[in-house]
Amino acid sequence: MIQLDDVYYSYEGLYTALRGVSLEIEDGERVAIMGSNGAGKTTLIKHMNGLLRPQRGHVFLDGRDTRNLSVAEMARIVGLVFQSPDHQLFLDSVHKEVVFGLKNLGFTSEEIEDRCASTLEHLGLTGFAERSPFTLSGGERKRVALACVLATEPRVLALDEPTIGQDAQQKDRLAQLLLDLNQKERTVIVVTHDIEFVIEHFPRTVAMADGRIVADGSTSSVLSNDKVIELCSLAHPQVTLAAKALRQSFPEVPERITSMSQIEEVIMGLLEGGTYS
Amino acid sequence: MSFLEIFQYTRKDSIIHRLDPRSKMLFSVAAAAASLMFLNIIPLLIAFLCLIPIIAAAKSMKRWLRSMKGLSVLLVFIMVFNTLLSPVPNPFSHSVALTIRLVALMTSFSIFFLTVHPDQLSQALIQMHIKFEFAFAMSMAMRYVPTLAQEAYSIMDAQKARGVELDKGNPIRRIRNIIPIIVPLIIVSIRRALSIAESMESRGFGACEKRTYMDRLSFHKGDWVVMSVSIVVLVLVVYVRLFVALPEWMLWSLPL
Repeated sequence: MIQLDDVYYSYEGLYTALRGVSLEIEDGERVAIMGSNGAGKTTLIKHMNGLLRPQRGHVFLDGRDTRNLSVAEMARIVGLVFQSPDHQLFLDSVHKEVVFGLKNLGFTSEEIEDRCASTLEHLGLTGFAERSPFTLSGGERKRVALACVLATEPRVLALDEPTIGQDAQQKDRLAQLLLDLNQKERTVIVVTHDIEFVIEHFPRTVAMADGRIVADGSTSSVLSNDKVIELCSLAHPQVTLAAKALRQSFPEVPERITSMSQIEEVIMGLLEGGTYS
Repeated sequence: MSFLEIFQYTRKDSIIHRLDPRSKMLFSVAAAAASLMFLNIIPLLIAFLCLIPIIAAAKSMKRWLRSMKGLSVLLVFIMVFNTLLSPVPNPFSHSVALTIRLVALMTSFSIFFLTVHPDQLSQALIQMHIKFEFAFAMSMAMRYVPTLAQEAYSIMDAQKARGVELDKGNPIRRIRNIIPIIVPLIIVSIRRALSIAESMESRGFGACEKRTYMDRLSFHKGDWVVMSVSIVVLVLVVYVRLFVALPEWMLWSLPL
């Protein structure tokens, strides 16, 4: 479990990224963190594995204060996948790259090979194992970076903008992978602007603006709130817009519709009975 | 990496910042020459101590100190290696002198880079009749120092998250730990250079042969003072080095 208690962080006193953030994430949750650029999302997840330490307040990982833990210790529990894969890839084959992190965390060589093979397969990278990461496309490199972290099987996985540069098919595969991990009681946290991705796959959303959490709750309630959408400079979900358009002709269509299944129900209702109740 | 900060322009309003880049360039060269002319502790120390008030006048003392702290590991390294390996009679004294020289050299150039905006630098070069493309390349290089520094920090974060313990282990392990930092840094830089070149070309870089400039640099009273002082210093140190025997106390060295 991750607990943030009134966390405050400012970059060299120049720019305050977090202004009193309190947040609790239970084991096995799927949480999306959304917010405008510069809202403090990345700063927030960097607190979860100790890359940043709160200047005020506390961060607890399984009840232990992160101030007393090293990043390497925390890296076993919390895997962080950064936005840019180019910031971490440095070896001349995808396979070596995945092995590197596992070695750092002290796994046995058998375990390393096992995990490496299965992770590469999961991410559709088996064919790339001997290729140099630098010859791969942006989206493929991103998956390699993800593989490096996934292979360590952290209990908590935090991803920063994982869907950028991925085509629809890869996005679906990524979602499936995250869901599979989540099934194994792993916590999945994503930072993203991809509202449809969140609606489809994440039950809980934390909305941030200007270093503060402005809303935290079920995705449908958070993302159907006009105020939150505006504060976090998000685009309304397409489904919500569709519902709004429908409401002009059929006033009985309820507000706050965010998911595909909800709108399906509404449309089917309208088709069947003329009135929807 | 934090020692790079002394080569990073900081927007401040000070006497030093207001000087013309050309006079500061000459001053930095003169100061660097002064420290390159001697290999004894006392003259090097004098050259170095003269630079401190100038850093203070540029209101950059804090930044300078921070960089020196970052540099200290490297300095200790240089000292140890030189003491062990140099064949001179007083190796420790010699390596202390070399260390002071390095710090003095870095400080003299940092006065220039700390206070000259990249645009000013390229303008200065152009007004010294250097081709625009070269001047532009130079100012681009300077412009990307802070970006590079920031990139280095992001890379360190990314590697730490993969379990690399940057500040643990023996010296050899620590040096090996530089590889996961430096390789991505170089690759990211090359990638960026290529994409900048492409985007510059697509915006018509180099389309016109002749171009005009918004701001032109001009010398003021202070610049003439700095220029004359620098020339005097330059001539003096060269003269002393070539024709004057240093007094006994200046040749003092440590017993080791």
